[in-house]
Amino acid sequence: MVSLNKNIVRIILIASYILIIALIISGISALFGYLNTGADRSAMLHTEIKKIEQYSPKVVWSPLANEGRPIDEESLNAIENDYLDAWYVKHVAYKTNTTNGIKDYYTDNARLNLFDFIEMNSNENITIESTTLEHHPTLEFFSEDGQLAVITDKDVVEYKRMFKAETLVLESKEISTYKIVLLLEDGFWRIRHLVKESIDDNDVEHTKITTDNLNIKGINYYPQATPWDMFGDTFSKDILAKDFEIIRGAGLNTVRIFIQYDDFGKADVDQDKLNKLKQTLDAAENANLDVVVTLFDFYGNYDVLDWTLNMRHAETIVTSIKTHTALVGWDIKNEPNLDFESRGKANVIAWLDNMISFVKSVDKNHRVTIGWSNTQSATLLKDKVDFVSFHYYEDLENLDTSIKTLQAEISNKAIVLGEYGMSSYSGFWKPFGSSQEDQANYHKKVQEIIAENNLQFMSWTLYDFTKIPKEVVGRLPWRKNTQKRFGFIDDNGGQKESFKYISKQ
Amino acid sequence: MRLRHIYIGLLGLILLSSFAVIQQNEMAIDLQLLTTQTEFDAGSAVVLKFSASETIKPMLYCSSSYGSTLVSPSTDGSNIIYSIPQNICQKTGQVQWKLINTMTPLSGQFKITPKQEVASMETYIGPPSIDAGGTDYAMLVVIPTDSLDNPLPENTLVNVKHQFLSSESSDGVKTNNFIAYKNIYSQQESGRMLVSSESLNTNSKEFTITVFPAIPTDFKIVEKRPHNYADGNQVTTFKTSIIKDKQDNVVSDGTYVSFFITNDKGNSLKTSGTTINGVATAMMIHPDYETQWTIKAYIDGMAESEVITLNYNQVVEDFDVIFSKNNRAISVGPIQSFMRQMIPDGLQVKLLIYKDGKLLNTLTKTSIDGFVNFNLKPNSLKNNSYNIVIKTAGLEKSFKAIQLW
Repeated sequence: MVSLNKNIVRIILIASYILIIALIISGISALFGYLNTGADRSAMLHTEIKKIEQYSPKVVWSPLANEGRPIDEESLNAIENDYLDAWYVKHVAYKTNTTNGIKDYYTDNARLNLFDFIEMNSNENITIESTTLEHHPTLEFFSEDGQLAVITDKDVVEYKRMFKAETLVLESKEISTYKIVLLLEDGFWRIRHLVKESIDDNDVEHTKITTDNLNIKGINYYPQATPWDMFGDTFSKDILAKDFEIIRGAGLNTVRIFIQYDDFGKADVDQDKLNKLKQTLDAAENANLDVVVTLFDFYGNYDVLDWTLNMRHAETIVTSIKTHTALVGWDIKNEPNLDFESRGKANVIAWLDNMISFVKSVDKNHRVTIGWSNTQSATLLKDKVDFVSFHYYEDLENLDTSIKTLQAEISNKAIVLGEYGMSSYSGFWKPFGSSQEDQANYHKKVQEIIAENNLQFMSWTLYDFTKIPKEVVGRLPWRKNTQKRFGFIDDNGGQKESFKYISKQ
Repeated sequence: MRLRHIYIGLLGLILLSSFAVIQQNEMAIDLQLLTTQTEFDAGSAVVLKFSASETIKPMLYCSSSYGSTLVSPSTDGSNIIYSIPQNICQKTGQVQWKLINTMTPLSGQFKITPKQEVASMETYIGPPSIDAGGTDYAMLVVIPTDSLDNPLPENTLVNVKHQFLSSESSDGVKTNNFIAYKNIYSQQESGRMLVSSESLNTNSKEFTITVFPAIPTDFKIVEKRPHNYADGNQVTTFKTSIIKDKQDNVVSDGTYVSFFITNDKGNSLKTSGTTINGVATAMMIHPDYETQWTIKAYIDGMAESEVITLNYNQVVEDFDVIFSKNNRAISVGPIQSFMRQMIPDGLQVKLLIYKDGKLLNTLTKTSIDGFVNFNLKPNSLKNNSYNIVIKTAGLEKSFKAIQLW
């Protein structure tokens, strides 16, 4: 008995000793690890290039036929960079009414003109959010000693928003022609003279594409294993092919997919991701499915000075897949109305308006829509989009009325119910949730309403998911768990009851 | 009853006021621009006058070359007046305006044109130095600006004047894209060219372009030496002819000329000099033995001289060698020059020691007062018999089996 007790004491002693040692070691290693952070050897000499892309409007140089010395590409690039930077610092200066950076890009005399404006606007409490979207410069003259250049910048598309006492008073899109004299001083091409030769309002009417032959019966798609990370490392063409066959087999003809702004590399689009996107469209084409591509997912800045970067992003993606036969249309942004409160409705609407025009200017053949999250917002920009789409997760009782109201307001365009669905989650976090049966009934009823109103649709979603990133619905478990059970097919690949009503057969 | 009247009266007022609101809006549509002028000289006051019978005060948006702003109105009886801010009136360019907060957007444009005067001639000239010969040129760029720092309109005449040697000329150039430019070509001669420009009676300051001679052409060299003996003491001076470019301009002072000397053994020597007034001078000490030099001068990559050859005569005909102190002290001399005078100090004498055909040691000394003394130390050379060779001034004397003890 005594020896047993002794052994117990021994074991406890040894165990506690080991535990304490382990704790101390882990503590020291944590401290050591903390002190080591930031000491990256490759960063020791600060040789990395710090330049980040912050402003990249579309610049199209006219063929070179300048007077004076023939220019080389390096000099032309230097002029372009500094000239665009001059615009950028001007935008920032008028937005904040400060003079930071102006000295670098305007000569002694020229900068006074900007300072005058800044002083005047700041006294009057006027601020201007502005950006330029396009430049079409022509090099007119380059001096023999390479120190002076004259350019004519034709059709500069300028977007401006004027605020007086922080209230928006005017939104304006102008197209102007400038003539600029630049001098090379201290290694900077600085603006010496800037004269606006002409100015006009920029109203570009894009041709509307009819929606008569549009027939969307589809589903929002993410692969089961990688929701919200469709183009990641685990991208698999085979899984897509298999899933698309299931979708096609269920009698649907369209999938809606999402392109995340950050994930695709922002302004500098990742070629690898782009290839995966193309493979996705190929897979859809093989399965005889159409694809609605939703751009700018998880993007939420809308700042006017961010526009040019957004446009480069959209330009690359749209250009690279606009000829693909599987493409049926562009959804500019998923549920942008949710950002109205945090980012300002005017900001968001202006951004969308601009982006619709831009996407239409790059791709004249495909329809454009916006995936509004409710019917109330769906009439916004209805004259700009080619078809209207809205999402519906509210009570089905009101769906019919909502659709009727919407149809009354939008008579000449197809209306697509872009997302709808019901979670079959019922459990610890949501004891009174819905069952699979409820979900099936929901889809049955939705299909009836859709048929009755002659609506086009894309449901949410093919699969139940096992993990939901926090960016989607936040961290709260009752939301996350609900979000996991919206599928027509469960975790194990079995069809849920609702699968019968995935489309109206 | 009275209450009812008041009530009706109140209702009427409300109705009236709402009517007034509607009228106001209609007035906004009736706003009309009274100012007909659409072109203004820079610096003049620009006032936009609108007729409006009601006192509504929309702001005016104004966008000019350098920026945009909002202008608040003032009234003048029944008219609304917008005084465009000075900094917009002073800078040339097209200005767009828009009335905001009105039912129908009213907008228009006016133009600010530069003053017909030149206040400064901003002049850029480059490159600052060019080559003579008529093919190289410097470019003069002039931006005439008015007193408000606006570039003048197209086709403003700028006179470009330049003086070179005896010629003076003036050429009219018209501005295009705000600038007037002219390529100023060099002439046949080198020198300084003075350039200035004038527009609308305003003159620029003076600018200078240096015209350097073009690349040199081939030249000749001459030699000068005190005598033609190979005494290893005197110095031969080489001189180029006056080096000129193909237009006969003397090359710039400081042009570097290299002289390459090859002797009859095929060895090379190099010396150099830079030009002053077209002539470069270089020197080389005489050889100490009879030889022939072939000399050619170069200006690297540009020009070269003709070849000259020089002969140097032997001065030392013979010398004595005396062995003493167990043959370990060797005295060489007297070494005599061409007039039998003692050779000047510094002639190199070599002593080579061979044993069984193998070179054991070389001792080198220079002459003092016509003699050189060698001491062969027992530490380095053991008692034995050696072959000893003495070389100086291209002469050589051998002594076989000299016994050292």
